[in-house]
Amino acid sequence: MHYVWKEWKENVKGKGLWISFGIIVLVSLFLLFKSSSLSFEQGIYILQINLFDMMIYLIPIFCLFLGAFSLFQEKEQKTLIMLLTRRDTFTGFLLKKTIAVQTLLIIPIVAWFLIYLLPIKFLFEIDFISYGALIVSFICLTLVFTQLGMMIGSVSRSIMQIVGFAVAIWFYFFFLHDFILLSFLSDVSYDNVKFFSIVYFLNPISAARIFLESALGTYNFDHMSKLLQTFMWLKPGIFLLINVCFYMIVSFAIGVVFHRKEGKE
Amino acid sequence: MKRCIFLLFLMLLLGSLNLHATYAEDLQSLLDNLGDGEVLHLENKTYEGNIVITKPMEIVGSEDTVIRGDGLGNVISIEAPGVKLKNLTVTNSSMTRNDAEEYAAIKIHSDGNIINNVTITDSFHGIYLSQAHENVIENCHIIGLGDGTIGGQGNGLHIYFSNNNLFKNNFVDGARDGMYFEYSNDSEAFGNYLTNNRYGLHYMYSHDNTFKENIFTSNKGGAAVMESFRNVLENNQFIYNYGHKSFGILLLMANDTVIENNTLFFNQRGLYIDSSTNNLIQNNHIVQNHIGIELWASSNEQVFTLNKIEENIIPVFTLGGQGRNYWNKDGQGNFWGSDFPVIDLDQNKIGDVPVIYQSSLTELIGDQELTYLFLKSPAIKIYDKVNQLFNEPKIMFEDSSPIVMDKWINTYWVWLMLAGIFVLFIIVKGRFLLCTMYGRNGRKM
Repeated sequence: MHYVWKEWKENVKGKGLWISFGIIVLVSLFLLFKSSSLSFEQGIYILQINLFDMMIYLIPIFCLFLGAFSLFQEKEQKTLIMLLTRRDTFTGFLLKKTIAVQTLLIIPIVAWFLIYLLPIKFLFEIDFISYGALIVSFICLTLVFTQLGMMIGSVSRSIMQIVGFAVAIWFYFFFLHDFILLSFLSDVSYDNVKFFSIVYFLNPISAARIFLESALGTYNFDHMSKLLQTFMWLKPGIFLLINVCFYMIVSFAIGVVFHRKEGKE
Repeated sequence: MKRCIFLLFLMLLLGSLNLHATYAEDLQSLLDNLGDGEVLHLENKTYEGNIVITKPMEIVGSEDTVIRGDGLGNVISIEAPGVKLKNLTVTNSSMTRNDAEEYAAIKIHSDGNIINNVTITDSFHGIYLSQAHENVIENCHIIGLGDGTIGGQGNGLHIYFSNNNLFKNNFVDGARDGMYFEYSNDSEAFGNYLTNNRYGLHYMYSHDNTFKENIFTSNKGGAAVMESFRNVLENNQFIYNYGHKSFGILLLMANDTVIENNTLFFNQRGLYIDSSTNNLIQNNHIVQNHIGIELWASSNEQVFTLNKIEENIIPVFTLGGQGRNYWNKDGQGNFWGSDFPVIDLDQNKIGDVPVIYQSSLTELIGDQELTYLFLKSPAIKIYDKVNQLFNEPKIMFEDSSPIVMDKWINTYWVWLMLAGIFVLFIIVKGRFLLCTMYGRNGRKM
């Protein structure tokens, strides 16, 4: 709790968090205005898909930077050394810091999208289950990319390194991962589709998208071909859960193992 | 004494069982006793079916009038012409698929009937017209069994060998096909709402029908026109038919169809045309679909003119080679949105240079169904561009007379205003804290 409060005080003074949430709020409001002409019954689904498509541009990059800078600030302001000279190990510190940063980012996002329900209620018929799926997908993206950001903050020595790593990771998940898969797509057959599926769902954006779209009923798994059936060998929710756990554990471990102090050694 | 009580109980039980039979007989005998053209007003209660109407008459229900079938056949069979049914709920037809006959809540075998404001639930087909002509079905509410049992149930409105019928303001939710026409010609449908069905509309071997101002949403496929000629689809909305094989409109071996002034929004494919010839696609708004128009090479002589085709991930996709299709008519092409900037120096609202769209994804999409999973990925456009460097791209369409439209003012002012407020907020926030801050030892900062 101490770490959460500390994180809040540090972020509330800075502009990063406000700018990030401000942009998320503005974009979601803009989409709401744009969707206001949609039909009462179906508008909510279209809005949710558009919202997700827009947020995948924002949430990953914001979380990467906020997570990374939050950790790097501890190095820069020498508070990390002060904390570690007391009883804390770096693993313990990173765990507490993770909880604090994740809490700080997830609570406002969830709070905003719950407030967002109010204007939606006047425009569309709300399907709470699918809207819940949208919030869950945002939480998962936040969890994964914040943790990756904290990993970047932990292994980086300078702000330039953070920028480089963050942009590279964002570029990888946003473009490169799918690009590589597309390059191999023509070779996918029934024999290797399961492996292809594992790699496909390693992208948190894809895992969250399939989870959301299946919750919205846009992907119907009743009448699939054998290939698609093998591709979807687990439920979308389980794919997403595995993805989140995988990235959180791996990036936490890398953050601990490859942790480096600020500046040149 | 015990025997007496037991006998009394048995008699009461038999009596109560017989009561149901009496209700059914009551309704049937009431109908049988009516004269030609007479009106029967039903009370606010549940009547047991099944019933057969053999003479012209009018049956008018009240708010809670229910006719409940025995689950073994059609609940209401109309054998006579000129029957009117109004304000009823009809439920519980047979669901069997093992009989030669397919059952329905209301089965019409005659001409000139009017079915108005009837709600149908728990039935195989909703309303079935079998060799029935010049009927009017309006304001009916047909609820199917829903998504999991689409294959195991019938259609909302099933029209079989029936011509010149009118379908107006009906609602069909969760059936196999919302409206299914087979060998049925010259019918009209207006203002129907078809949702959560397999296909909203399905024409098979049905010609010269008109379908106007209907809404198709959340179906596996919006309208499927198969082996049917000279049908008109006008002013309809095809929205959110979004599954991985879904479409707004499918033309399969459909010729001379006129598709005009429709909105195809947020579908997996807006228009899906295969093995069809000589269709006119005019003045439609095809927007925000995964694939705007998917056109198979077996389709020829389609004319696309004055359509607004914009914000689709792939505007047009031609598979299996280029057919003979025309992207303009009388010097008027289509509007392609901001993805295809058009120069109009002579300001005649027609672009000075053709709009050409090339893609190298043809084989990938044609051969590998998993490609659809990547359509929303930002990588696909880059992959396409990179692929074009190494492989010969194929021309998807060439519109030699693209339409230029005036820029219109939309909600961007709201966006700009909000952005202004946001910038102001950040600037002001830079000088003042948003909440009281406490520093070391609880001192205010």
